[in-house]
Amino acid sequence: MTQCSNPLALIAEITHRCPLHCVYCSNPLELTSRKEELGTADWLRVFNEAAALGVLHLHLTGGEPLARQDLTEMIAGARQARLYTNLITSGIGLSRERLGELVEAGLDHIQLSFQDSNEGPANWIAGTRAHAHKMELAAWIRERPIGRQEIGERRIAFTVNLVVHRQNIEHLEEMIAALEALHPDRMEIAHAQYYGWALQNRSALLPTRLQLDRAVAVVAAAEQRLRGKVRIDMVIPDYHARFPKACMGGWGRQLLLIDPAGRALPCHAAGVIPGMRFDNVREHSLNWIWTSSEAFQKFRGEDWMPEPCRSCDRRHEDFGGCRCQAFLLTGDASATDPVCELAPLHHLIEEAVREDAVTGSAPEVTGAPFHVLQEKMDGFWSYRTDPK
Amino acid sequence: MSELTDTSVPKFAAGCRWGGTTDAPVVLFPEGAIRVEGTGRIILELCDGHFSLAQIVEQLETQFMLAPKGKVRADVQTFLEQLHAKRIIDY
Repeated sequence: MTQCSNPLALIAEITHRCPLHCVYCSNPLELTSRKEELGTADWLRVFNEAAALGVLHLHLTGGEPLARQDLTEMIAGARQARLYTNLITSGIGLSRERLGELVEAGLDHIQLSFQDSNEGPANWIAGTRAHAHKMELAAWIRERPIGRQEIGERRIAFTVNLVVHRQNIEHLEEMIAALEALHPDRMEIAHAQYYGWALQNRSALLPTRLQLDRAVAVVAAAEQRLRGKVRIDMVIPDYHARFPKACMGGWGRQLLLIDPAGRALPCHAAGVIPGMRFDNVREHSLNWIWTSSEAFQKFRGEDWMPEPCRSCDRRHEDFGGCRCQAFLLTGDASATDPVCELAPLHHLIEEAVREDAVTGSAPEVTGAPFHVLQEKMDGFWSYRTDPK
Repeated sequence: MSELTDTSVPKFAAGCRWGGTTDAPVVLFPEGAIRVEGTGRIILELCDGHFSLAQIVEQLETQFMLAPKGKVRADVQTFLEQLHAKRIIDY
């Protein structure tokens, strides 16, 4: 058995239900239905087990975590377990009162997603009218105090998250300026990652090399300008990188994800890898899953690595890249991540960039209801649908 | 970036707080945590909104009487400025 360290963060995908239909969603194409979702008591037990394993951060995500009516209870339970709690949300379903409740329950950090800074394009990408509410919510988050007076000055950290791709990358500078006006503590400029729905829509989303270079320069300038005011973190699209990303900080090394049904995964997209058994927290302790389950050991450490990874110095930095991406693009989860310029199958990435990263006009449809958008955009991209 | 002066009152930024255990405390912040020990821990324990930079420096100088004059202030300032850039400390 490969030696393992403690996990530092738990990503809890508490539901796959979501009122948005974002075309860049990295959720799996096969979504978990409401009736399969793990109940409150199981989640609270998992939070306690996670804290005992050494986990410090809990990321509540989905789908839209606000779709769970027991969210306040979960945050209170996580706080009691001494976890630092982050809510990753579209904000849909969050009234000013409910925000107050979540903060009182112990929420530490809220990460609000934006699809664009202009309402028309934002709603077009999300497939629903969500933008106006997000703007309103951003102002509530900056109110002090949030919720009842007794909490006094305590404020939560506020991150705005902007997913960048070819349909909005050209006006990144304008988007950053608009989001800056919401007074966040932190800004995440996250280029779409090509898994799930985003992979399906790659030909509409992948930016060109030139677009990416310009975007990187724009972010660097904003970082300089906002130093000490807003912390900026950027995730670049690895298709344009020379080397793979250290996916999840290495397989079974720092992070674990629990899906809505309670299955524990070493990576968001790991469910796509065939022949793998992902144990469920309904049947096993988190400790056993982390240290001993087959899935978490499968690509832990270096024994699984093929050449050129096995003898490469970079293996200590990127831990062999992303196993799910290797499977999705090469059909073999043990292959060298094709993003790597040293990978035998790197030409797959070069071809994807050549074919998909091409500029062209998009049939932008604004102000239409979802079924009309779906129909009009058919053939260009497919919107994420809700679980059955 | 706002300037750190003698009268500035450094305190934890929104969403930053103590965590871990008494034996191994950490400062928790969005997407990260830092283990603090020794002098760093003493400084951060004084960043509770009650002390100005001058007062924090004074307390440390009392504890580290052998440190050359001016060095304590410079070290505390650099430490707090680094945490300010990471949005962990506000002043």
